[in-house]
Amino acid sequence: MSFRKPARYVLPVVLALALGACGIGGGADDSETTVSGEVKGEITFQTWNLKGNYADYFNGLVTAFQNANPGTTVKWIDQPPEGYQDKLSADAAAGSLPDVVDIGPEAAFTLANAGMLLDLSKTDPEAKASYLPKAWDANAFPSLGGTYAYPWYLNTGPSFFNTAVLQKCGVSKDPLPATFDALFAAGQKMAATCKSDATMVGRLPAIETFGAYGVPLMDQAGTKFTFNDAKAVELVSHYRNLFQAGGMTEETLNKLQTGEVDAFKAGRVGWLPGSSYTLKDLKATAPKVAETVAISPQITNDKPNMYIESLAVNAKSKNVATAVAFAKFATNKENQLAFSKQAAIFPSAAGALDDPYFTTDDGTDEAKLRLESAKAVSEAVVYWPAAFSSKSVDYLREQIALAVLGKKDVQAALDEAVKYADASLPKK
Amino acid sequence: MSRTQKTLRYLVLLAFFLLLAGPLLWQLSLSFKGAGDDLYAQPPQVIPADPTTGNYTGVLDRLPVLLYVLNSGIVALLVVAGNIAGATLAGFALARLRFRFRCLVTGLFVVALLVPIESIIIAQFLLVRSTGLADTLLGVALPTCVAALNVLLMRNGFQVIPAELEEAARIDGAGVWRRFWHVCVPQVRGVMTVVAIFSFVGAWNDFLWPLIVLSSEENYTLTLGLNRLRGTFYSDPRLIAAGTIIALLPILAVFALLQRYFFRGLEAGGIKG
Repeated sequence: MSFRKPARYVLPVVLALALGACGIGGGADDSETTVSGEVKGEITFQTWNLKGNYADYFNGLVTAFQNANPGTTVKWIDQPPEGYQDKLSADAAAGSLPDVVDIGPEAAFTLANAGMLLDLSKTDPEAKASYLPKAWDANAFPSLGGTYAYPWYLNTGPSFFNTAVLQKCGVSKDPLPATFDALFAAGQKMAATCKSDATMVGRLPAIETFGAYGVPLMDQAGTKFTFNDAKAVELVSHYRNLFQAGGMTEETLNKLQTGEVDAFKAGRVGWLPGSSYTLKDLKATAPKVAETVAISPQITNDKPNMYIESLAVNAKSKNVATAVAFAKFATNKENQLAFSKQAAIFPSAAGALDDPYFTTDDGTDEAKLRLESAKAVSEAVVYWPAAFSSKSVDYLREQIALAVLGKKDVQAALDEAVKYADASLPKK
Repeated sequence: MSRTQKTLRYLVLLAFFLLLAGPLLWQLSLSFKGAGDDLYAQPPQVIPADPTTGNYTGVLDRLPVLLYVLNSGIVALLVVAGNIAGATLAGFALARLRFRFRCLVTGLFVVALLVPIESIIIAQFLLVRSTGLADTLLGVALPTCVAALNVLLMRNGFQVIPAELEEAARIDGAGVWRRFWHVCVPQVRGVMTVVAIFSFVGAWNDFLWPLIVLSSEENYTLTLGLNRLRGTFYSDPRLIAAGTIIALLPILAVFALLQRYFFRGLEAGGIKG
């Protein structure tokens, strides 16, 4: 599974309609400007597919909060992985959104746009100092004029190379490709020796690839997309040249991240932009590949990319003060640190990455990977703009595929993808 | 038939068998593979090198599968009963009774087929919630209790019964209920089986709607519960395969029980093929 794959069916339009029809909608301006009230009463805390492996951690977290705040009850519920955005949309429309929800920026944007989430830039601007600046920024939506969630856990990952594949196809593994230019050059070389038996690249560039390549994705005000400049054309042209030389198969043009991982595990792809849990995954399901894998820093022309999950507070919560207190408690330094020691993720709380856990090398592969990723996280950016909907993700991939196949001019394809993404931005 | 023809026929049958049953066999083989198996080996291995039943016990340890099966069973039972009763009655009315706007009503059922569930699911949820059925199994079952497709299937089933049969009964003094129950229903048992199987499979496999209606874990249906087998950050395909096989068993059982009627029904209904 990808870091957090966007839901296949997304219902923001329906949500907007349903909200309008029921009269429970309303702009973000309706929400209170300060949170008042006592920290007590019952709240519901919803996580996304974390119960299976981390139930003990969350039960402990809930108990610790209840003990520290007598008179509060936290009801923890956990949703299955599939269809999470649909569940959020339906609950928001029905007025049954939990008080504190585990959410990614894209879903947060949709709900914030419907006026469902507490605007922290109004209610709790001081909180900003407690988190990594780039993590806090990921939930700041300039086009909506606010910040809508407390940053929670982060993930990023280095490049994984299958050295057996590289060797077979005549690419030196010393040094491993460290830049996009080196990567595409190696891809061309593999195409010449191996044809399409094995290729360097297993997936078309996604929006975050453009970000890492150095393409500005959106304007400052968050009102229009800009990933159709000369730099973006250059990136797609690299893929196009690679494809035309036989360095990418037609099959890959439609692949999602999971497909790329599968192809890597099957030894058909040389390079996988991974995450901190990729190594564990490889060891468990593709031990042969795990033996020959080499890890090197994430390829980027700018800052490394990262992904984020956050905790948002329901603006209509009956116990807003308690919900805010709990969201801050769950995302404070100690609790984030404890969680990241159990799961292969990284804390977004300021200073948490200075913990020895992220700075001391104990000699294992896992520790090396953790240290390298933690270093990347400390400077990483969440490139994926929250306003870039999952429909736009699909549309961009389709347009790039047409350009790569040579059926469309690269610039024209990108222009069209930008136009499509712009059209799905909320109307003022 | 000559020998070559026969061979050819079996080859085609075998190819189709592999095409249709292949993915299922793969899941079955995957569910028995142990930690020593390379899942992505080229060429793919069907026989596990390190066979184990650990994946099945793993699924049973992690999840209250029996509870989920029970919940799914309740939903499926409600849906099957609702469809058999509702669709049969409605189908009979549309096919054999004369009333104003009959064509219009039939048209409405056809139109209902064209509405994708994704576009109305939130409105449907608001409705179910306002009746206080959110987070109940009844709330999951209710919207599919009488499906438009099944009504149309039953209508077609009733329509092919010769008019003379019913007229003869009418001359003998049989009222509408009597003609429905004693004359027409026995003729459409096959179609009713088709409706039963379709609605069972539909209810058993549905994911999105139960996900939206249910929020407490003790009410989860099997599809929701098994979805949890997908790991938080990465998944073990072996566990998922074992879960898939577990979810499949009841469907196979129902089909095996009803298959005698099923094929008869397929021929009797309007959907030959």
